[in-house]
Amino acid sequence: MSGSEAGRARSWLWTLALLAGVLVVMPFVLSLIGRSYLYQVANIMMIFALLAASMHLVTGVAGLLQLGHAAFYGVGAYTAALLAANLGLPFLVTLPLAGLAGALVAFLVALPTMRLVSIYFAVATLGIGQMLYLLMLNWVSVTRGPNGILLFGGLTIFGHDFSRPAAAYFVVAVVVIGSIWVIHRLSHSYYGNALRALREDDQCADAMGIDTVRLKIESFTLSGFFAGLAGALWAHTAGYISPPDFNFNVSILILAMVVLGGLGSLPGAIVGAVILIGLPELLRELKAGDFRNVIIGIVLFSAILFLPKGLIGETSALDLMRRQFAGAWRGGKAGGMGWR
Amino acid sequence: MSALLDIVGVSRRFGGLTAVDNVSTTVARGELVGLIGPNGAGKTTLFNLISGFTPPSAGRIAFKGERIDGMKPFDVARRGMGRTFQNLRIFPNMSVFDNVSVGAVGSLGAGLGATLLGGRARAAAVSERTFAALEAVGLTADAEQLAANISYGKRKYLEIARALAMKPDLLILDEPAAGLNDSETKGLAHFIRGLHAQGVTIILVEHDMSLVMAICQRVVVLASGRKIADAPPAAVKADPAVLEAYLGVEE
Repeated sequence: MSGSEAGRARSWLWTLALLAGVLVVMPFVLSLIGRSYLYQVANIMMIFALLAASMHLVTGVAGLLQLGHAAFYGVGAYTAALLAANLGLPFLVTLPLAGLAGALVAFLVALPTMRLVSIYFAVATLGIGQMLYLLMLNWVSVTRGPNGILLFGGLTIFGHDFSRPAAAYFVVAVVVIGSIWVIHRLSHSYYGNALRALREDDQCADAMGIDTVRLKIESFTLSGFFAGLAGALWAHTAGYISPPDFNFNVSILILAMVVLGGLGSLPGAIVGAVILIGLPELLRELKAGDFRNVIIGIVLFSAILFLPKGLIGETSALDLMRRQFAGAWRGGKAGGMGWR
Repeated sequence: MSALLDIVGVSRRFGGLTAVDNVSTTVARGELVGLIGPNGAGKTTLFNLISGFTPPSAGRIAFKGERIDGMKPFDVARRGMGRTFQNLRIFPNMSVFDNVSVGAVGSLGAGLGATLLGGRARAAAVSERTFAALEAVGLTADAEQLAANISYGKRKYLEIARALAMKPDLLILDEPAAGLNDSETKGLAHFIRGLHAQGVTIILVEHDMSLVMAICQRVVVLASGRKIADAPPAAVKADPAVLEAYLGVEE
C-alpha cells in the first residue's frame, strides 16, 4: 500500500512470472510428460488454490475461524451441476450463477452468526456445514442423494469442447487466476487492513469507526462467492459430483492449507493448497501406500509446531485459536451465550 | 463557544453497583478537559458511556447536537470521536502504517465497492490522512515496522496517531501517561498541548493528577461515581472535597 516504485515493479515481475508459469510453462511441461492424469491433478490443485484463497479472506485476513467452507463449495458445485444437467445451461452461465448461489447462502448464514463471538462462530459454521452436507445427501429428489450428479455436457464454451483435461486446464487457470487477482486486490488494500483490524482486535476496530458486523458479513459473502466459483469448476471438470466431495474433511483440508501457508498471506494459502494436493499425489507416485497419510499428518503437525505463523503468514494460528477461546470466556462472563 | 459534548444526568448501574451516578458536564469546542478520580471512581465507565461501549442506564449524551447514547461505538466514532485505550490496544501483526490507516478507513468508510472498482481517489485520501497522522506524532520513520516491534513509548503515540487519522472533532485519551517515566510524560504533555494548540478538542482521562493539572484548562473530578468538582486546576487543587476523595478524611 505504501509500496515504493521498486516494490511495485517487483510485484509486477512476480505477477508476470506467475502468469507465465501457470499459462505457459506448466502446460508445456505437462504436455511433454503427456499424461492426462497430471492435468487432472493440476486442475484440482488450482481449484483448491481458489478455495484456500477464498478462505484466506475470511480466516486469514478477517480472523474468523470457518469450519464449514466446503459447504459453500458444494452449493456452487450443485448449482452448476443441476443447472447444466437439468436445463442444459452452458458453463459461462452456470459459473457466475454458482458463485452467486455460494454468496447468497454465505450471506444468509452470516446474518445470524456474525454476532456470535469467536469460538461460537466456529462451532456454528461447523454445524451449518454439516447441515448443508446432509441436505446434499438426503434431498434425493433434487440432489439425487448419494448417487451424485453426472454431467454429460462437460465443459463447453461457445460450442467448443474443453472437456479434455488438457483443455480444461486453461479454463480453470483463467477463472482461478482472475478470482485470485480480485481476492488479492481486496486483501492488499485499505479494505483488507480494516478486515485485518477485525482479526487483531475487533472491539478496537469498532472504536475506529469500523462497522465490524457489516465487514464480517461482507467478507464471508465474498468468500462464499469464490467458493461457489470453485464448485462450478469442479463440477464441470470432474463431470461427476457427490456429497462426500463437500464434507467436513474437505473443510478441514482447506483450513489446513490456509494454516500451513500462513494466516493472512494469500501466496501462503496458494502454496498450502499446492503442497496439500501435490504431496499426496507425489507420495502415491513414489508408492508410499497408506504411509502417505502418516507423512501428510507429520508435515501438518510439524508446521504447527515449528512454523507457528505457517510458511509465510502474518499471525500465528495457535495464537488466533487461543484468542478465540479467550474471547468465548470473556463473552461468557458478560452473560449470555457468546452473543454480542 | 458551542457545546461539542453535552452530558446530562448520566448514570450507569452494574447490578447493585452504581458506577456512574447522575453525572452532568459539557465540553466546548477547542477545550482541553481533564477527567480524574481515584481508582474505581467511574472514569473508565464514563468514558465507555461517551464512546458507546456501554449504554447508560439513565440520562442522555449529545455530541455535536445529536444524541449518541445507545449508539454503537463505530457510529459514535464516525461522527468524529477518536479514542485511545488505557491498556494499549494496537494491532500487533500489522505495520505501523497499516495500523494508522485503519483509523482513516474507519472514518471514511471501509468502501468495499470502491476497493473492487479500483477507487484510487479513496485510497489516496486514506494514505494522505495516514501520512499526516504519522507525521503529527513523529512515527514516519517507523511506518514500515511491525507494530509489535516498536517500543512501548512509540506504541502510545501509534495509538494516538490511529485516532488522529480519524480527523476527530473530539479526542479522548485514556490514561496516556500510564507506564511512562517522568521525562516521557513531560514529552507527552508537550505533545498534547501542541495538539490542543492546533485546535483539537481533547478529554484527558487520568489516574494521576500531575499531568492533568499541568496542561488542562478545566478538570472534572469523579469520586465513587459522582462528580465532585468541575473547575480550573487551581480551584480543583484547593477544593476540600477533592482532597478528601484523594487523601481521605482527617480524623
